[in-house]
Amino acid sequence: MKKLLLTLMITIVALAPLVATGAQESEGEKSYNTLHVYAALDTEEAQYYIDAFQKETGIKVEFVRMSAGEVLARIEAEKENPQGSVWFGGSNTSHINASSKGLLEAYTPNIDFELAANFHAEDRTWNGFYTGAIGFVSNKEFLEANGLEAPASWEDLLNPVYTSQIEMAYPYTSGTAYTTWATRIQMLGLENALDWWEKFDVNIHQYTKSGSASIARAGLAECAVGIGFSHDILAKGIAKGYPVVLSFPKEGTGYEVGAVSLIKGAKEVEEAQMFIDWCFSVNAQNMFKAYFRLPVNPAAEIADGAIKLSDIELIDYDAVTHGMNKEANVKAWRDRIGK
Amino acid sequence: MNKKKSGNTSRVINFKKLLREPVLLLSILIVFYLLTVFVIFPLFQVFKTSLTFEGKLGFGNYIEVMKKSYYIQPFINSMILGVLTATIGTFIGFIFSYAITRTPMKGKKIFRLIATFPIVSPPFVIALAAILLFGRSGVFGGMFGNIYGLKGLVLVEVIAYSPTAFLALVGVLRAIDPSLEEAAMDLGASRLRVFRKVIFPLATPGIVSAWLLVFIQSVADFGNPMIISGDFSVLSVQAYLQITGMYDLPRGATLAILLLIPTVAAFYLQKYFLSKKSYVTVTGKPTAATIKNLEWYIKLPVYSLCVFFAGVVLLFYGMVFYGSFQKLWGVDSTLTLDNYVQMWRVGKGYIFDSLIIASIVTPITGFFGMFIAYLITRKNFPGKNLMEFSSMLTFAVPGTVVGIGYVVAFNTTSAIMPFTLTGTGLIIIILLVFRNMPVGIRNGVAALQQIDPSIEEASIDLGADSGTTFRKITLPMITPAFFSGLVYSFVRSMTAISAIIFVVSGKWNLITVAILGFVDNSQYAQAAAMSLLLIVIVLIALGLIKLITDKLGQGMNSATVVE
Repeated sequence: MKKLLLTLMITIVALAPLVATGAQESEGEKSYNTLHVYAALDTEEAQYYIDAFQKETGIKVEFVRMSAGEVLARIEAEKENPQGSVWFGGSNTSHINASSKGLLEAYTPNIDFELAANFHAEDRTWNGFYTGAIGFVSNKEFLEANGLEAPASWEDLLNPVYTSQIEMAYPYTSGTAYTTWATRIQMLGLENALDWWEKFDVNIHQYTKSGSASIARAGLAECAVGIGFSHDILAKGIAKGYPVVLSFPKEGTGYEVGAVSLIKGAKEVEEAQMFIDWCFSVNAQNMFKAYFRLPVNPAAEIADGAIKLSDIELIDYDAVTHGMNKEANVKAWRDRIGK
Repeated sequence: MNKKKSGNTSRVINFKKLLREPVLLLSILIVFYLLTVFVIFPLFQVFKTSLTFEGKLGFGNYIEVMKKSYYIQPFINSMILGVLTATIGTFIGFIFSYAITRTPMKGKKIFRLIATFPIVSPPFVIALAAILLFGRSGVFGGMFGNIYGLKGLVLVEVIAYSPTAFLALVGVLRAIDPSLEEAAMDLGASRLRVFRKVIFPLATPGIVSAWLLVFIQSVADFGNPMIISGDFSVLSVQAYLQITGMYDLPRGATLAILLLIPTVAAFYLQKYFLSKKSYVTVTGKPTAATIKNLEWYIKLPVYSLCVFFAGVVLLFYGMVFYGSFQKLWGVDSTLTLDNYVQMWRVGKGYIFDSLIIASIVTPITGFFGMFIAYLITRKNFPGKNLMEFSSMLTFAVPGTVVGIGYVVAFNTTSAIMPFTLTGTGLIIIILLVFRNMPVGIRNGVAALQQIDPSIEEASIDLGADSGTTFRKITLPMITPAFFSGLVYSFVRSMTAISAIIFVVSGKWNLITVAILGFVDNSQYAQAAAMSLLLIVIVLIALGLIKLITDKLGQGMNSATVVE
């Protein structure tokens, strides 16, 4: 048959519009557009909030779950023709970087309480809607076997009993680990922090890529101690049933602010703004209970067992400065530690 | 393959033939267009990105990378890992396919099935199972010392990628006419001698392709090193982390471009190596396939390796299976169905989307890949090497980079692509087609190199055109390779992760995005449950694909009585 080859090629080309049409939008109810969201939260958790938003407002939402770094890379690659309108969740470090690259649009959410100055960008390109502190997660059986209390200070982590027993992520791969590194810099100054880390490095079994990986790994006794955000330790460690305990350093610890932002050039601006407003509503903020995140709305309830920031010793964490200095800070770390 | 001396004249003749066949000429042009737009263009965009240094154009990123040991070491590590995995993996794949095609081993179907498990599941599931088996507090904890690092990576990748070698080689070995062996043995050669002098040399193109495929997969692998590499950092992961951890797209792109060097080198080595011999075995003469009784000293090592490898695979997947029913994998082994309930609740939309996408991608990839393999091995036209090379490129580049390249290239319209593709289902399909195609092409090339072109020439001389010849003569003979190409494509469409994450939109979400989500959230049991569901779906689909290709092959075989 003469046409076989041609048919083959035509089939491929002809399938194109078919599939494209299939992916075409059908207009949502009322006059609202479908809102496209990039969520840097876990799938199930993101779905939980987004379902509630859809029910409350009738706006249809389509979301893709990615890590915060992936969201940033994607927004940067799409900047000529943005496909998403809202960046939902993820540590403000990454939002700050995106803002400095001009990828975000300023928006002041319509809220009835005062958002603390360190919980939003000065130009409002990002707004923090939850928070949580850096803490230690320790395997109970390891502690018992060695007659130890859970580490209660940064110096405890240098104890030789933990040689090759501590895990955390690389400061350049995870927002959690970078927050930890930036915390040490702010507490000790860069040079002293590097010295401290050199000693600490002896106790590191391995650096992971994901910021929360060490929690389950401490639960599985693959390491004795991990470092992570308190809400992750509660939700992914203790609430799951892993034999772990949460503790904080008495000298003070850093914290993250989880942010939501409007992507520059967003196609669904009105819907996106409604979504951002909703993130700060009491209804939405109450939902954080299920995942142990700390709400920023003073009227919202806090989960049983969640650690309030006012209950622990915090440093005066400067997210903006250290968000901007990330490259230099990480370079100093890699040049000294060599990993 | 053509001998050098007759090359010039035959090229002229072939070119004239080409002009006489406008359909063929047109399809060659279309293939070139598609490869340019969907392979070269996105990679060019990545390359362009890597030349952005401190806001200006230049090689600053490359110089920086060369200066730092923490960029160079991962490159060396990747090479070590790739060579080890490819060598061991190809060896196991070869023994397996030898056992299946050349011995009267019992339970071949089961061995085949077991050997395909690892390609069916997302790779990090194997890494997880490895940790639960051999990790510090694993079932066999500490038996092999520290599992995190090169040792663990090789173990996991050999399990994950030997099946690729197996799939590539089984088609090749099957195509080697057993009567050749019989003839050699009748002439008094020992079994080992036959193996050394007949089977092994004839299988060389297949072996080299298989090695290359495994090498590239290992070097570009991302899921396993993410979980089990420990301090042994590899380039694909470093490139990814540079982009997602340091928000540094240009330098991440630079590291990714570096990954292309070994791939290109491997590709040319293979070409050089293969251009020296002829591997034709299917000549059109009648054959009768028989398997003679093998000596024990062949059976024993071959069978034991098969049983051992199958045992290891079963152990790993048994762990995954058991884990998927545990309340908390590794801690609380109370059996429960909760993981499946939760997996279904969160993931059912993802599963259907994946199935739709994979069923569209698979046939396109299969036919398109075979067609390119056919053009490469059977037709002479200017730019043939370029076609072969560019069709392999997407396979070699880490998914992250392909994904970002696609977004940058197709997020706006351009002279060669007048539509915006991002946000549609089409971009996912195209990406998967071009990313999965290389395996089909390699298998097809290896299979076609064994078939004497004179059979096809005879058909053309008798008046059939290229299309008819391809359909009636060539296609039936490469059905096994075609089938394995389809299988691979379907499986990869269902399990691809790293590239897909950048092109999925809220409307089209894929199953692996959900699995990755589970893993990120440390919900290993749910990830295991979903992976098992994926395995079941894929096995059913494989059965269907086999049914269809068998029918296709039979229908055509009856029409192809070759004298």
